[in-house]
Amino acid sequence: MPIIYKKVLREMFIRYRSISVAILALTIGLWGVGTLLVSMHIMSNDLNQNFLQTKPAHIYLKSENFHKLDIDELLARPDIMAAEFRDKATLRVEVHKNEWLPLWLYSVNDFEKMSMGRFFKQNGRFPPAKGTILIERNNLLISDLNVGSTARVQSKGEIVETKISGIVFDPGQAPSTQDAFVYAYTDKENYSRLTGSPAQQRLMIRFSNAETKEDVKAKFKKLSNDFSRLGIKINSFYIPKFNEHPHQFQLNTLLYLNGIIGLLSFVMAMVLVSQLMSSIFTQQIRQIGIMKAIGASRTHIFKIYIAFILLMSLASILIGLPLAIITGKAYSAFVSGVINFDILTTQMPPAIYIVITLVGFVMPIIFSLPALLKGMNISVNDALSDYGIKTKRRVTSSNNLGIINSSMLSLSMRNIARRKGRMMVTMVTMALGVAIFLTGFNVRSSLQEFLDKTSQSMKYDLKVALKQPLPLAMALLPFKNIEKIKSIEGWVGGVGRIQSDSISTSTGIGIIATPFDSRLKEHDLMDGVWLTGSEELEFVANQQAALEFKPVVIGKSYPIVLKEQKLLARLVGVVREFDIAKIYLDLDKYNRLVNTDKKINSLMISLNNRAYDNVLEVKKEVEQIIEKAGMDVIYVMSQTERAVIIFNHLNIILTIILFLSLLVLSVSSMGMGSAMGINVIERTREIGVLRAIGATPKMVVNLFVIEGFIISVLSIFAGLLLALPMSALAANFFGELILGEDTPLDFAFSELGFTITLIVTLLFGYIASRAPANKATEITVHKAIAYE
Amino acid sequence: MKNIIELEQTSKSFIQGDRIFTALKEVSLTINKGEYIAIVGKSGSGKSTLLNLITGIDHPSCGVVRVNGTDIHQLSESELATWRGKNIGIVFQFFQLIPTLTVIENILLAMEFVNAIPKNERQQRANSLLEMVDILDHGDKFPTALSGGEQQRAAIARALANDPDILVADEPTGNLDSSTAMSIKAIFSELVANGTTVVVVTHEGIDDSAFDRIIELKDGEIVLGITNASASEE
Repeated sequence: MPIIYKKVLREMFIRYRSISVAILALTIGLWGVGTLLVSMHIMSNDLNQNFLQTKPAHIYLKSENFHKLDIDELLARPDIMAAEFRDKATLRVEVHKNEWLPLWLYSVNDFEKMSMGRFFKQNGRFPPAKGTILIERNNLLISDLNVGSTARVQSKGEIVETKISGIVFDPGQAPSTQDAFVYAYTDKENYSRLTGSPAQQRLMIRFSNAETKEDVKAKFKKLSNDFSRLGIKINSFYIPKFNEHPHQFQLNTLLYLNGIIGLLSFVMAMVLVSQLMSSIFTQQIRQIGIMKAIGASRTHIFKIYIAFILLMSLASILIGLPLAIITGKAYSAFVSGVINFDILTTQMPPAIYIVITLVGFVMPIIFSLPALLKGMNISVNDALSDYGIKTKRRVTSSNNLGIINSSMLSLSMRNIARRKGRMMVTMVTMALGVAIFLTGFNVRSSLQEFLDKTSQSMKYDLKVALKQPLPLAMALLPFKNIEKIKSIEGWVGGVGRIQSDSISTSTGIGIIATPFDSRLKEHDLMDGVWLTGSEELEFVANQQAALEFKPVVIGKSYPIVLKEQKLLARLVGVVREFDIAKIYLDLDKYNRLVNTDKKINSLMISLNNRAYDNVLEVKKEVEQIIEKAGMDVIYVMSQTERAVIIFNHLNIILTIILFLSLLVLSVSSMGMGSAMGINVIERTREIGVLRAIGATPKMVVNLFVIEGFIISVLSIFAGLLLALPMSALAANFFGELILGEDTPLDFAFSELGFTITLIVTLLFGYIASRAPANKATEITVHKAIAYE
Repeated sequence: MKNIIELEQTSKSFIQGDRIFTALKEVSLTINKGEYIAIVGKSGSGKSTLLNLITGIDHPSCGVVRVNGTDIHQLSESELATWRGKNIGIVFQFFQLIPTLTVIENILLAMEFVNAIPKNERQQRANSLLEMVDILDHGDKFPTALSGGEQQRAAIARALANDPDILVADEPTGNLDSSTAMSIKAIFSELVANGTTVVVVTHEGIDDSAFDRIIELKDGEIVLGITNASASEE
């Protein structure tokens, strides 16, 4: 082996500490990027593939006249790729003793020949035995239901029992763990038995050559005309987001998060690598001088140190690549568990390995280039006369002689100023770490505030969603003797997805008809005003519904179809809420126009005592009354439960924000540690002089610890300033991602986050400066003077 | 006798703060092939600067530096490195051996850089050099395992690795005890006897009759250039 490479290996062996830190930094960077690439590859492919393998319907149509439809004729049309009946009913199922959750029950024509909306066998029988049901696998996590058990289903006020014969995986559904729904599938006959309703009234269609939601709309328009000619009246239709999983927004958020923070940690890791390489070159500078003096050319120096970098890169790739594959897969598996999809990717494509390997080799070279070039280009004279820091300005005698007597603080500050470039890089990196960490907390606060606001805006404590609308007086009757109830309002429609199924416009936008002056809900107005109660039909849209009315012009009248009546309603405001597309109407006007029998389907109950335990107690009482009265109810839910459901949707995002932010801060702290390490090396002689003129080891430690403290404080200050616009941007970004376009979350400053950032940064700063400071004390006067 | 080192009106100035300090002032000097030269002078007299110019470690501010027929003041850093490796061996006061390589590897490294000695001869040549400086037994040791004198011998062996015509030594005995210093001086004398030009910067050289010439510098100027005979006379 050539001697130059022997030298490289021995240097690495001897300087194993700093080399290990450099390899660690490289590994962290590569690990982060690798995990990001692997998980992005898996998740972006697999969720979509999971969803697409169900062959999702492009449109759902409801009609009572589908008996007039010849399905074979429909399938023969060139614009129809597939069509299949899949009835859906919202019932209730007992998930634990006396605990009920909404149940979406589907009827399936032929389990073996599903042309769309497909789901897949997991366990038990498939197709199910006649008269039994299959349930979705995610339901097992929120209920006692399982293969062989009997499900108690509440339908039209009565309890009906049905056996569960199998478990299926339906990648097209939102996860039960987050949405608190149970999904079940059965044959037509059992469907009718359980629901008391006829089947074949809901049709799913996949169009040929449809690429967008707009294509679907256009094709449906043509189809509905043909249906009219056949005497088939479409009662309602629903066009879901085109080929998009219901929880795609969560995945998008996670992927964005991965992207942004993963990239930032990588850049920081590379800055750290650059500093570490600079540190290694600082230690090597005199050796470079000697080698040049005995005949080494720039190419020799390049070869030696490029081998150095490549070996470190190789080590980091050998550790980081398998780690990245493992964690990327594990992270994807975790997310797939949360969003309920299967990991289909078994092997990473070679491109992933190639990209990670290339990144692992190329990026360290790029980031080490300044240090490498400096080493290659330094003159022999400069290299041989390198004893550490040189000061361009002439140092006054007071600067030197006053060292011991002057305060450590001013000395440390002067030392920081001596290497302005490096300290700036350290501070900027650290400040960025602080800013990201704090932004993580601030965004978390913004989301938390949004949740709190959402929760507080609901002034009711319990909501009873009725399956069949009832006249208000009849609906209120069973509850009149509960003393703990302060007041009850009857609404039409309500929050959540289920209620949109029963009450919606012809285009599937959910309706909430509420007394315009109701005090049971406060609204987060983004634009315009709340319902005024004027004679004119007016409506308020939430931000999701507003997307359907583009361009949104407050004061403009839009056509809406309510219960087959085409009406013109004036948009008076837009509110922000965590819900699917909904519009608010005044109950009185809604009743007059389309609900003349004044039936309501939601009971909003407020209690005298709003304590959680009391709410749960009343909830049980309400459930008992419902059972006794035989009311046909979809669910009874407390506000706290709803807040938990919303929180569950966002919690994974919040947790990952904080975890990744901490990673970024720790990487930036490593950068500071390395910069302090370089300082110690460069000031070896100076430390020796300090020791020679009486500085104690404690004084030397203090010198570096104070430097670290000053850098930390300045970084915190800069990071704090940087965090403000970053938090505002992030709140904007996450608002749009979670709530939809043009719906930024409010900026919130997290005091807790700031306190934690302060403590963590100072702690990291202390650790990062303490280790090099300890090393500085090991330098004896003799070692320092003989320093080479 | 052939001139091997020539300096013509060579000056070297440095910027120190807001003033210019001239370390060497229009020095003209000729050293012949095979001469044993001592450069003496007080600290700050310019002797190390002169040595740096001869070895190409530093560039002159003006004037000519011609060594072994090459105008080295016109060479780039890269060209200088190759040229230096082939033509000059340098011995430093603090030995400056690469601590992570064994003694013999230090010598082989110099050969590897210059590539003037055929690969199959390098090991044998390295052993011969170690034998010449009397540390053959220490070839496989790391520099830190050697005494100061042994390290300096190793440094001399490394300086001779590529069979240079000129050996330059900067205070080679300044860090050694007197008996070790004597043995190092003996090696230099032997090299001179074999035709190598040896230039030594030293404090004690003035009393050494082994030198062919002693050049004394003061404030960047040559104040005395005496031959061996005159030195003896004095």
